[in-house]
Formats: sequence, structure tokens, C-alpha cells
Amino acid sequence: MKAFDWLAAGLRLSAFSASPKPENSDAPSLSRSSPATSPTRPPSRLRSGYQAISSSWLRIPATVRGYGLPVGATAIVAAVIAVVEPGFYRPANLHVVMQQYAVLGLVTIGQVLVLLVSGIDLSVGAVMNAALIVIALMNHYNENLLLLSLVLCILLGAGVGVTNGLLVSLRDVPPFAATLGMTACVQGAILVYTLGIPAGNIPAALRPVALDGIGIVPYSLLICLAIGLIVVAFLSRGTYGRMIYAVGRSPEVARRVGISTTTVRVSAYTLCGIFAALAGIILSAYIGYVDPAIGGTYNLQSIAAAVVGGVSFVGGEGKPAGALIGALFLLALLNVTTLSSLNPFAQLIVQGVVMLVAVSLFHLVKRGSFA
Amino acid sequence: MSRDLVRIWSRRSRAGFAGVAAVLLALTACGGSSGSSGGTKTYTIAFISQGTSNSWAAQLDAVARKTAKADGIKLVYFNGQGDATKQLPEIDTAIAQKPDAIVLVPLGGAADTGPVERAMGQNIKVILCDSTITSTNYTSLVTPHAETATVPLAQWLADKMNHQGNLLYIGGLPGNTTTTTYDQGFNSVMQKYPDIHIINAGNANYSISTAKQLAATAIASGRTFAGAWGVGGEAVTGMMQAYVDAGVTSIPPIGGNSATNGTMRLAIQHTIQVASLQFPPTSSQVCIDTAFKAAKGESVPKSINLSDLPQYGPIFPPLDKYYKSQYSDDMYVGTDSVLTFDELKAINLVK
Repeated sequence: MKAFDWLAAGLRLSAFSASPKPENSDAPSLSRSSPATSPTRPPSRLRSGYQAISSSWLRIPATVRGYGLPVGATAIVAAVIAVVEPGFYRPANLHVVMQQYAVLGLVTIGQVLVLLVSGIDLSVGAVMNAALIVIALMNHYNENLLLLSLVLCILLGAGVGVTNGLLVSLRDVPPFAATLGMTACVQGAILVYTLGIPAGNIPAALRPVALDGIGIVPYSLLICLAIGLIVVAFLSRGTYGRMIYAVGRSPEVARRVGISTTTVRVSAYTLCGIFAALAGIILSAYIGYVDPAIGGTYNLQSIAAAVVGGVSFVGGEGKPAGALIGALFLLALLNVTTLSSLNPFAQLIVQGVVMLVAVSLFHLVKRGSFA
Repeated sequence: MSRDLVRIWSRRSRAGFAGVAAVLLALTACGGSSGSSGGTKTYTIAFISQGTSNSWAAQLDAVARKTAKADGIKLVYFNGQGDATKQLPEIDTAIAQKPDAIVLVPLGGAADTGPVERAMGQNIKVILCDSTITSTNYTSLVTPHAETATVPLAQWLADKMNHQGNLLYIGGLPGNTTTTTYDQGFNSVMQKYPDIHIINAGNANYSISTAKQLAATAIASGRTFAGAWGVGGEAVTGMMQAYVDAGVTSIPPIGGNSATNGTMRLAIQHTIQVASLQFPPTSSQVCIDTAFKAAKGESVPKSINLSDLPQYGPIFPPLDKYYKSQYSDDMYVGTDSVLTFDELKAINLVK
């Protein structure tokens, strides 16, 4: 509820900032270009209200402030959903949401690491596809090789990540081009190896990872949350986290203080590749059928989730927990539009508009010194 | 000494160049868009396929190559990579080669119209395979007809639902003319039954994974569905998988298109009532044969209804006779009517 209030306050302030101030008027302005402390302007109730809100906001711990918008947006969405589509809260539906969230959450965590070092990874979908192919082909006739196939998937994800990282760091290939090129290589390798027909099957022993769990909480979600917690802890408290943010904010400064930007970038891409492979394994377990295009939409979805969750494209800005909340927001949105039985074309418009509003709100709040 | 060497080298070089020139001339004489040897012309057909994207396209390509070999045609392959925007430049490249005919598997009905009309303007015969464009300016269209392909399946589903209740619908690929064609047939049946409420869960874009996720969400919503319909075998498979994984004991009857061996396996294994369209990717055989005839100057029909051919048509339960356990899930029911066991093995379709 607190977050909801702050969000509403942010909206009000944005509205004031946008309204033109009449000339020769003593009407108060809340524009950032005219600070409230200006001696030429008499104090007003509105300005003092702004100051009060700002100072109250700044008294809130920075960590809590950083999550304000994603939590607020999710709270609003949760409230709206309760009214518009109460079926969302059915245990069976929550179970489905959790199953799907585990996959998007894992990919998003990896994408956040890469975005934080001013990168982007467009090869996560291809890694997920490759993971499925490895599992399906190695377990074609029996499931004895399941464990080995899972290890190979992780190694494959790590390999793709290391290559991406090295291309970006050592060869100065733009991240977009490097990871897009890697996508083509991985997809091409899959086609060459399978001839476009991925025979095989998903082993039955793998499926409980996504289908079973504790109560309605699937094991896959527990895996995702455990990894999420570890990454949050490392980024917020550890040296590694500080290095990631430093490299993302200013690689030059990071280099001067002795941080190996190459190592940090390569490690971020490697972890992203590993998490994508893990997501591919979990998605394979969930789908239970050999679909070579299983990772189709996850490139853009993971980026969208991160951006909605407050992670910046310019690097060094944003938090993994925010991105995880962003992923939840995105998935809840997709789920509700599906439940609503709207025309699929209209569903796309609704999804697009809600996402645009969410991202715009984030930036409005940031501009209003609320982040 | 050195002068002698230069002279010898020069002589050898001249001889070498003469040899290379002769080979090049010979190659040029044999090349071109269509060659002739002993009075028999070799026709060149550009096959602009859906391309390396999924197992359906892989089977379509394998059949096309086999047919071209049997007809003695030079088949030039253009890869659409499963994407309308990637296919467009391939069409232009194919036109620039001036083939005797083009076989196009259109991925974008509207987008492909311009290039097809340009090809026709250059007197190149264009055979549209499996899907159409937004113009009638083409030589021949080889595709199933909505009425004959979809109507019996939709009618079966409506009857199974006793003409009432919720129907879970998962669509195909927006803008794709095959999707539109199937939708027309489906809607023409369902509009007769106002008590059937169609719950549209979204478009799966011919992806099993997307279909499963959409269906899982729809099933978890708590609604009861008396029937389900999927555009494309992928949607049907995804829906079946979602029902099985959700632990639903009485799965409603499911109708849809493009039956795969995997669809049959799941239906038999979990006792699901499924009606599907046997629509194997063997249409390229008819398309290449038609293009060959058109290239030779023979008259070809403007429209060829695949549904009239024996390997096409609706299939209803019991499905045991359609499932072939020796083949993988990816084989479309009926592909084995054109490709032999060894040919199927060569493209990974044998277990």
C-alpha cells in the first residue's frame, strides 16, 4: 500500500511538471528546473508538499527505494487482477504461473547480469533451444545419459556465454552483433546436426522438476528463487557485485582502480549462458515434447522483464530483484490477457500498452527524484 | 638458361590458360538457366521453400528434391528460413536467375504478392505451394481447400460437443494464409451453433511450446471445455500435452490440422478423441510436377485441391492405423506414402 501511495504521488508530480506555468504568475511550479529552494519564489503549500514527499522518500533505505516502482506496479496489477480476472488467484492457475515464471525468471537473472555490464544477450533463446536438443537426442533410446546430458547443457550454455563475453570484451564486437551472430551459429549448428528434424524425447525422469513440487510451488520455482537470492546477495553485498556495477557505470574508471573489465564481462555473459541453459532444461521438462523452437520469445521477454523491473540499457543501473519482479509483472500480464479471452490481436495491444505505461512510469518517478 | 626457362614457362602458361579457357567455354555452353544435351532440355525450377525452420519444412524439401530428381529437373533451392521477411530477398534472387518456373511456399501472403507479380511479368511460371498470396496473378495454386479440409473436422468436433459448451481455441500464425483458410472452414461450421462459446486463448504461431503454455493457462482458469480446436498440428499437440500434464482425467475431444506421428502417439497413449487433417508435407511433389508441366508449356489448372488426393483428408478415431511406431514424433502422417523408409531415415525420421 505504501508503494501504491508513492506511485500515486509520483504521478501527481509528473502531471504538475508537465503543465505550463502561466507568465507573471505566482502559481507554484514543481518543475525540476525551478528548484523549490529558489529564493526568487515564495514558498507554497505545493512546493513544501513536494519537499516533504522528497525528504520522506529519501529517508527510506536506498534498497527499499530501488524496488519501489516494481513492487508498486505489481501491487497495482495484483489489485486490478483481483477485480478484473479473479480466476488468476485459483491455485491451479497460480501453479501454472509459477511453472512459467521459473523459466522466465532464470533467463531474466542472466540477462540482468549482462545488462548491468552495458551488454545485451540475444542468444539466450538459442541456448535454450540447444539445451532441449541435447537432452532429446542424448536420451533418445533410454534415460541413462540424463545426468550427462544436463551437464553438457550447462557446459554448452557456459561455452556460448564465454564466447559472447570474449567477443565483446577482447574483440570489441558490439554486444548486439556478437550475441545475434552467436544465435545464428547455435541455430545453424542445431539445423546441421538435426537436419531440421530433432528426433528424440524428453526423459520422463526430468519432468517432475517442472511438474511436481511442494504444494502448488513447483521445484523449478524453488531453483529459480534460490539462484535469484544468491545473485541478489552477491550483487548487493559482495565484491563481485561492486565490480559488476563499476564496469557497467564506467569501464574506464573500473580499469583504473584495478578491476579486470574483461573478466567481469566474460563472467556476466557466462552466467547468463548457464542460466539460459538451466531455463532451457526446465522448459523442456515443462513442455515435455521436442520443440526445437522452445526458446523463441525469451530473448525479448527477458529484456522486457529487466527493463520493466528498472534495469537500464546503459549499464550499471538496476537490481536483479527488481527485474525478477518485472518478470512476475510481465508474466501476470500475459496470463491475465490469456484468461480474459480477448481477441488475440487486442491482447497484444493491451500487453504493449501496459508495458509502455509501466516503463514510462518508472522513468517519470526517476526524473522526479523518486529513485 | 634463364631465358629457356622463361620460354618453357611461357609456353606452359599459354597451354594452361588455353586449357582453362576451353573448360570455361564448355561449362558456359552447358550452363545457363536451362541446358540441352542431345535435344533434351533440362528445365530449371527455383524452389523457394519455407526453408530450414522445422520438421514440416524439412520433409517438404526432401520430397521436392526427390521429385526433381525423378523428373530430371535442375532444382535451385532458396531458403526462406521460416520467416516472411527473410524469404522476400530470396524471391528476388530467384527471379534474377530467370528460371523456367518458380515454386514458392509463401510465408507472407501480402508481402509475397509484389515479387510474384514481377516474376509473372517476366514470363516466369509461378506455382504457389500450400499457401496463397493476395492476388490471382500466378500460374497455379496447390493447396487444400478450406471447405474440404477443415469443415468435416470442425463438424465432428461440434457434434462431439453436442453443439454446446465452451470451446478452447488456439490459433495459428496471424497473416498466414493457411491459418486464414483453416479459420474460414472452422468458423463456417461454428457459426451454426450459437451455444458453442469459443474461448480464444491466443495464437501459438505453430509452436508446441507456446500452445502448451496457452492451453495450460486456459485449463487452469477453471473453465470447463467441452471441446478444443488448434490451428496446426503443433497447437493440437501442445493442447494434449497441457491436458495430460494438468492431470485432467476426462480430456475433451480435440480437433485441428496437420496430424503428426506424435499427435497420434499422444492421442492413443492417453485415450484422447482427436480428429485431425492428414496434410503431409508431400505437397511439394504436386507443386514440382505442376511447375515442370508449366515450364514445358503444358497447360496446368489454376487451382489444384490437395484435399482431392488420397494422402490428404480428415482422419477420425480410432487412430491406431495412422500411428507408425518405427518413425519419430516429427513425421507427418502420410509422408511415408511418398518417402521410403531409407529416405525417412536419411532425414532423422526413423527411431
